[in-house]
Amino acid sequence: MFNRKRSAKDFAEEIKAHLELEADELRSEGLSDEDARWKARREFGNTRLAEERFYLKGRWLMLDKVVRDLRFGLRSLAQSPGFALTAILTLALGVGANTAVFSVMNAVLLKSLPVSDPDRLAYLRTSTAPRGTGTVDTQQTFSYPVYDALRRESKGLSPVIAYVPLSGSKVAVRVGPLPEEAEGDMVSGAFFSGLGVSLPLGRGFSPQDETDHAPLAVLSYNYWTRRFARDPAVLGKTLYVNSQPMTIVGVAAQGFEGLEAGGSTDFWIPLQSRPELNAWGNPLEDGKNYIANPTWWCLRLIARLAPGVSRAQAIAQLQPIFQHAAYIGLGKPAQDEPLPQLSVTDAKSFPGYDDEYGKPLRILMAMVVMVLLIAMANVVMLLMARNASRQREFSLRQALGAGRGELLRQLLTESLLLVTAGGALAWGFALIATRLLGRWAEIESSLAPDRTVMLFTLAVLVVAALLFGLAPLRTALAGKAELALRTSAATSNTDRGKSRTGKIVVVLQMALCVVLLVGAGLLIRSLQNLKNTPLGLNVDGLVVFGVKPNVVSLPEGRAFYQNLIGKLRVLPGVESVTVMEERIGSGWSNNSDMMVDGRPSDVDAASSRTVRSNVAGPDFFRTLGVPVLAGRDFADSDTAATPLVGIINEEFARRFLPNVNPLGHTFGPNNGQVKITIVGVVKDHKYRSIDEEPIPMAWYMYAQIPMVGPMHVEMRVHGDPLAILPAARKVVQQLDPNLPLIRPMTQRAQFDTTISRQLMFARLAGFFGFLAVVLVATGLYGALAYRVSMRTAEIGVRMAVGARRGQVVWMILKDSLLLTVVGVVVGVPLATLVSRALSASLYGVRPLDAATYLLAVAGVAVVALAASALPAGRAASIDPMRALRTE
Amino acid sequence: MATQANNEDRIALLQGTLDLLILKTLLLGPCHGQGVARIIQRQSEDVFLVDHGSLYVALQRLEDRKWIRAKWGVSDNNRKARFYSLTPKGREQLVEKTGEWRRLTRAMGLILDTNSELTGEEA
Repeated sequence: MFNRKRSAKDFAEEIKAHLELEADELRSEGLSDEDARWKARREFGNTRLAEERFYLKGRWLMLDKVVRDLRFGLRSLAQSPGFALTAILTLALGVGANTAVFSVMNAVLLKSLPVSDPDRLAYLRTSTAPRGTGTVDTQQTFSYPVYDALRRESKGLSPVIAYVPLSGSKVAVRVGPLPEEAEGDMVSGAFFSGLGVSLPLGRGFSPQDETDHAPLAVLSYNYWTRRFARDPAVLGKTLYVNSQPMTIVGVAAQGFEGLEAGGSTDFWIPLQSRPELNAWGNPLEDGKNYIANPTWWCLRLIARLAPGVSRAQAIAQLQPIFQHAAYIGLGKPAQDEPLPQLSVTDAKSFPGYDDEYGKPLRILMAMVVMVLLIAMANVVMLLMARNASRQREFSLRQALGAGRGELLRQLLTESLLLVTAGGALAWGFALIATRLLGRWAEIESSLAPDRTVMLFTLAVLVVAALLFGLAPLRTALAGKAELALRTSAATSNTDRGKSRTGKIVVVLQMALCVVLLVGAGLLIRSLQNLKNTPLGLNVDGLVVFGVKPNVVSLPEGRAFYQNLIGKLRVLPGVESVTVMEERIGSGWSNNSDMMVDGRPSDVDAASSRTVRSNVAGPDFFRTLGVPVLAGRDFADSDTAATPLVGIINEEFARRFLPNVNPLGHTFGPNNGQVKITIVGVVKDHKYRSIDEEPIPMAWYMYAQIPMVGPMHVEMRVHGDPLAILPAARKVVQQLDPNLPLIRPMTQRAQFDTTISRQLMFARLAGFFGFLAVVLVATGLYGALAYRVSMRTAEIGVRMAVGARRGQVVWMILKDSLLLTVVGVVVGVPLATLVSRALSASLYGVRPLDAATYLLAVAGVAVVALAASALPAGRAASIDPMRALRTE
Repeated sequence: MATQANNEDRIALLQGTLDLLILKTLLLGPCHGQGVARIIQRQSEDVFLVDHGSLYVALQRLEDRKWIRAKWGVSDNNRKARFYSLTPKGREQLVEKTGEWRRLTRAMGLILDTNSELTGEEA
């Protein structure tokens, strides 16, 4: 089958034999020898055609043709390497950007949880939490009694699974002698079995493990790889979590990195009851942990729908159970209190990702699609220009008998070569880009392109290949065979329709470029505004790290921090040291309503009563560099034995104590049990993040309030702030060898994390805007240069009959200026639409910012002019005689 | 013999019928291409116009499918010619194809006859 049994020669011989036989027969019918031969031939028709058809039937023919086409395509591309390189690079940039952004979008927004049957999983949500409770997230967290009731009594949702982090960030762990940090969750016994996550090594947890609060741990595949080099002997080893020994019993499936948004969980342990392992790493509240405390809604819940049960049915059955359980330990709900409503939400993709990254990613995707359109338009224009100059070649080939199909195949092959090379390069770009994107966005879950992304890229490439193959076909076929016979470039290149298509493409490119530049400009200005926002404190020279001492009693905790501060203060190079409960610039804050002077603070209805508070150590404001406007800073002399003192900010004074001297007034929590005397007023400064508005704030002195737990240490040092860390680590480990420094970094870096998303977003937008400009500039240059080269003869004639250089230059410039004007007129309204969509991501700049628009328009105009100047100059320097003689 | 005038009475072969005609012709015994063309033309009372180019391509196709086999030999008038003969597989095909063709013509006939009656009644 693979070898043709018969040669073409044999076939030709058979035809010859046929003709002779036929002629013999005709002769026997009485025709003359010559007539018989002639007639036999005529009867047969085209013998060559038959031979060709025989040849075409060959099984290797298709491949043969493809090989020939490929060779031909390669040769013809090699003849114009500049063109080939430009086209491939343009395509690679356009497709690469799309692949990269799409693969992030795929990983973050589209990918399903790596669990079995994710369609039947649902996160539990509540409309609100009952009054008198504290939550981690008003809608997403539940108390332990609620979890317990749902898990026991739910029929439609089975199992109900709880999971809760051991810390807001990372938790102290130890495997060898040195303390480390890792992200860990406490989970239900049904966690792995209920989600359907397999364990390639060891086992998961059982319900019994949850009941026993068994000291077991399962590692994530990622952590197992990173920390243990995939050593199977890890099973049975001990992982100390907050100094509590846990036996490693399993490793979870590759790709499963927990259910926390953007994070990647390193290990899981069954729900624990020890005070050292409270949910979220919080200190015990009145000696009660998360299990014993019904007022703390801190557990996240996910559940699997039982087979044959709809969500509505499951919720209907659970609602009364939930509403009863919500008030366990809280007493009866108040009369006017709306009961919390349980609901479920899709758990197909990762929770929280959509809120956090959805909008920026969609906007970025739109931007890269525009970049891709520009890139493709560029390549199409390049191809059209190139093929127009090859029109002679095509005409000649048609004249020599090549069919339209042949030409189409050749064009498609050439486009396929370009697209394959461009696509391969694009994939490389995308691999690098996703790695960088992941680092900037601080998304720890894997963003690497997977099969979906590959299909997406292939689809884009196929479209590109068809487009690049078919677009020039019209040009190629437009020159009919007779064109080959025409000789003058001046006459053969004036196809009005074709140049109109070219103009439309250029105008669209300019319009898209305006849109991209406006978008990028607005985002970059927002970023500058954010970066230049005064923080109200002097972050230079500040370094911060967290510690989580293993202390259980108040005096023990106070002594620990007093000791720590004292030891750190005397380190060389240290100017001052303080501590705080919430790390500033980390996005966390304590928010609550407060009493002022023993009554609920009265404010007009429009303002909120919410006060953000923090617990601070001595020299807090001196260390941060926040000016104290009245009164004093916290001092070492403020202790548990002295009167309770607090400090407020200007906004607090303005809102709750207007027109009086706040010093000497009191504030305190809503229950009215504690009154704290205001001893200082400080200038407003940023607490949670860079982009926050001023809000009333109050600070407690750590040594005076009943709390022991993790704190953050802030140090002001001379020189490089990070250089002090080794010395600080030594001090901490003298106090307790188990304690790592938690997330040590400069205070500036800490604040920057609060705008890291905007930072990345603006950087990327700026990059894509720049890319668009470069692409448009090269495209425009190519298009204009091509138009000029087509008009060489015409320009020659004009100059020969007396046109001056200036007139020729103007003729060319006028052309592109007109295109620019039309492009801007089309682009600006489009840009306003995009700006509106962006408005939520802007900071300190209006969506219709005139300066940004002017800059974008000017940018496009400059690009157009620069790209026209060279061809125009070339046109003007044409020697009329040479121009006329070129043909 | 084949003048312009009687060419017009001829019918170009339907797609796929040529194979059947070739197989049927070869049932009579081995024959070369020119002979097959002549026989088809003659037996159809000069109605079928056999395009010789297509004939040879069809012969090759049948040979590739192993329905017929070919051998170079010498014709009655001592000319070198390539002789085709049916294989057992070819015979099977002939029976099958003939049946198909009969069913097709019967069905066509049924439809065409009905239509003519209707037209007749209306007229």
